[in-house]
Amino acid sequence: MRLKLLFLSCLLLIFICTSAFTQDEAVVADSLETTAETISPAPATSLTAIDKPDDHGHGIDLSWELSADDGGGLMSVMGYMIYRATSPDGSYEARSGLLLNVTAYSDVGAMNEGENDYMPDYTDYYYKVRALTTDSAVFADSEILGPVQSFGQWFNWKRLSVLLLVAGFLFLTVYFIQKAKGGAKLFVRRLAGIEAVDEAIGRATEMGKPILYVLGLGTAADIATIASYTILSRVAKKVAEYQTGLIVPCYDPIVMAIAQETVKTSYMNAGRADAYNEDMVYFVTNQQFAYVAGVNGVMLRDRPATNIYMGKFYAESLILAETGVAAGSIQIAGTDEISQIPFFVVACDYTLIGEELYAASAYLGKEPLLLGSLKAQDYAKACLIFLAIIGFITLMFGYHGIVDFFHVAG
Amino acid sequence: MSDIGLILSIGVIVVGLLWLTIRSLTGREVERRIIFLFIGISVAIPLLFNITVSEKATPIVKGIYDKVENLPSGSKILISFDYGPSMAPEVEPMSDAFLRHALAKGHKVFIMGLWATGQSLGAAAVDKIVKPEFPDKVDGVDYINIGYKAGNQGVLNVIITDFRKMYATDVNGVDLDSVEIFENIRSLKDMDLILCVGGGFPGIKEWVLFAADPGNIPLAGGSAAVATPLLYPYYPKQLIGLLGGIKGAAEYESEMKKNYPRFADMPTPGLNMMGPQTLAHMVVMAFIVIGNLSFFFAKRRKK
Amino acid sequence: MDRSRRISLIIFAGIIILFILSWIIKSTTLLNVGTESLLSIRDAFFITFAAFLTLAIFSFLYKDNPYYKFAEHLFVGVSAAYWMCVGFWSTFVGNFIPKVSTTLSNFFEVPPKEFDIFYFIPLILGLMLLMRLSPKGGWLSRWSLAFIVGTTAGLNLIRYLRTDFITQVSNTFIPLLVDWNGIGPFFSDFSLSASGQFVMTLGNWVIFIGVFSGLIYFFFSKEHKGFFGHASRVGIWVLMITFGASFGYTVMGRVSLLVGRLTFLFKDWLGLIS
Repeated sequence: MRLKLLFLSCLLLIFICTSAFTQDEAVVADSLETTAETISPAPATSLTAIDKPDDHGHGIDLSWELSADDGGGLMSVMGYMIYRATSPDGSYEARSGLLLNVTAYSDVGAMNEGENDYMPDYTDYYYKVRALTTDSAVFADSEILGPVQSFGQWFNWKRLSVLLLVAGFLFLTVYFIQKAKGGAKLFVRRLAGIEAVDEAIGRATEMGKPILYVLGLGTAADIATIASYTILSRVAKKVAEYQTGLIVPCYDPIVMAIAQETVKTSYMNAGRADAYNEDMVYFVTNQQFAYVAGVNGVMLRDRPATNIYMGKFYAESLILAETGVAAGSIQIAGTDEISQIPFFVVACDYTLIGEELYAASAYLGKEPLLLGSLKAQDYAKACLIFLAIIGFITLMFGYHGIVDFFHVAG
Repeated sequence: MSDIGLILSIGVIVVGLLWLTIRSLTGREVERRIIFLFIGISVAIPLLFNITVSEKATPIVKGIYDKVENLPSGSKILISFDYGPSMAPEVEPMSDAFLRHALAKGHKVFIMGLWATGQSLGAAAVDKIVKPEFPDKVDGVDYINIGYKAGNQGVLNVIITDFRKMYATDVNGVDLDSVEIFENIRSLKDMDLILCVGGGFPGIKEWVLFAADPGNIPLAGGSAAVATPLLYPYYPKQLIGLLGGIKGAAEYESEMKKNYPRFADMPTPGLNMMGPQTLAHMVVMAFIVIGNLSFFFAKRRKK
Repeated sequence: MDRSRRISLIIFAGIIILFILSWIIKSTTLLNVGTESLLSIRDAFFITFAAFLTLAIFSFLYKDNPYYKFAEHLFVGVSAAYWMCVGFWSTFVGNFIPKVSTTLSNFFEVPPKEFDIFYFIPLILGLMLLMRLSPKGGWLSRWSLAFIVGTTAGLNLIRYLRTDFITQVSNTFIPLLVDWNGIGPFFSDFSLSASGQFVMTLGNWVIFIGVFSGLIYFFFSKEHKGFFGHASRVGIWVLMITFGASFGYTVMGRVSLLVGRLTFLFKDWLGLIS
């Protein structure tokens, strides 16, 4: 009897246990189902796709509205994945994964056939945006959008301001060069640096010492060197008139040949062709520091009353100018090499800063190319000042048009 | 030890400057070699006795630090080594700091150079920093050195549309199409941040002109002091930040040390240089004062 | 043998002896640290030689001398050769070979790419540039040069105009009064970190005045008299302050380089600092 009872109770126990366990499993499965249902997020909506504007093609801009569960609702969306296919029910290829709270993507592919990720133009593309959750099996696709095609544009409207300004500046330059060539008188103000050159030549004459003229390390084609020739021609003419000495050590053989010609012409113009001596202009070497050593030697031996440095200068600027100070010469410098100007400013009596070198040359030589481009730059600067003032004023009144014109986005 | 150094250096310099002052005020010439000697001593003593000064990051430096810090981990950062050994003492601390910071934040680092010398300096940085300090980082996965290509700004003009037109392999000859880090990279526009370290041509200016502006890519840089003043106009809109000379490097290092316990003991060449810099600058300032004083005295004597 | 020659010979011998001594001492120190014997002898030689070159360059501060000249020429030569080698391996072997020949790619051990006939254009231009070396065919190089100058000028014009002109102008449009919230907050933060409204406003005014007066200084079509004269005087002040800053930065840069070299001498060569 007792055995029967034990058996029965055991049976009951087993039944209870198994029923409890099966119930447990059912509950687990049940809860899983409900969570799966609740986690499946709302899809992204209002998907739009257009050809990427102002590009060379091979790109499509997508935008959409966030899933209701991104940053709100169930907060379950962790990001988006962009899919693309060439037919609505074809195989969709993942293009890019994006973080949450993103509503736009530019799908850009390679432009040449054979390249990785080649994306041909004028092909129908279909897109869908998948809202992702932490569980890779739980997601929501947006409606399929398509067909969309990509194609290139001939003109990038975002760069309109660049085109207009380039065209405007080129027009001004050509216009003023033509005008200068035609013999029109273009006004350039007198520069203090030129006066300093005249004074320095006078002083050298009084002292009976020569003038040292250094054309720098530039080649014959550098604008700074071209500007320097004009100033050299002026200096040489004055020197010929006053019968002072002139020393022109050169770094570049071609620059030397042109400098010789320049000085010779100036002597002839001054009516003193007989006083011209070929050895005034000579070649030293085209090794930077060896050249410096050579010029420094001249400064210390001949003790010129005035040193004039005009043209392109690099690391040697300070070494030259310092030696000149030690030799007690008056020094006038001019260069467009911005990093060297501070050294000339501290060590020379007068420095033509950057564009002033061109201006000085244009003022003296009236060379159409220099004069015309200088004038064009002046007008560009005037326009700039004018536009900027208007920009500031309109900005104060809340109008952003001019500021936006100068903002190049693409 | 550093106290003795400090006292010694100040002593030497004060006595020397007094001697100089007296000499120049009495109108006697001072040989330029003596000036060189002074600068040499004022640089050597702080170095030998390890005198350092503390630095605090200015907004222009903090801008870069915050950008690297705030990019999500795994962002793509390109570091361009545009310098040679002659500029290295000044700018190498910057590239080192950038590299350490980017890797510590878990970013992907792309190393390249517009200078031929940049290629080997980049490789040296990998050997010196990445391999010993970040042994878990894998070449081709977490970082890559694609090296140098000739063409200056022309290179940038090409890689802003396509890297592979210029770079077929990395420095070790590995095909770029086969490395994981380059999987989704087509052009410079895929970079989240470009850090250029340089100071000559081509350098930061070329990166602004040919990459950052046309591609709207965030750019920051570290520049040799000589070139720095010409780069300031680009800050803050065209350059996120700028490390100007060794002071900028020191500020960046101090910011890293402050915020990362793992960098508390890292080598800080930038900060170490600030001691000699400070003393040398003080001496130069004293020279300027002495020079001006003697100039005015000489003028008065003439009168 | 005259005196000066004897002195230079003595100096030369002295330097050689010092060099060898340094080499031996450095080798033993490296050996003690535990480097392999051959490696330590090699490394010691390089460190000593680098130290010798550094000191040779420094000797120019005393006066020009043959040791300085030797170091300078070595540097110029080595760096030119280095650029050439890297250029060859990275551009010619790295870019050109894979696109034109599979055999050559395999020879140079670079992964071959699809054949591209356009790559022969730069090759031809490059060869024409090399014709500079020939006295007769020198004129051919001008074609390549014209190509380089033309493309660079075209490329630069647009980029410079955009970045250095248009964008810079756009950056000059800055508010001359930053976030006005009344006098209290305006004057609240005087730190130099330029975070306070007052400091930022002041900074923007400096930029505004600096840009305009600088532009006026470089305006050559009008005499600098009256308002123009005053504005251009402000302009030249702004320029001089800029040059001063530039000069200061240069001093910092040069001192950094000196520190770099002295660190090498003290740390790697003499082992005085760790």
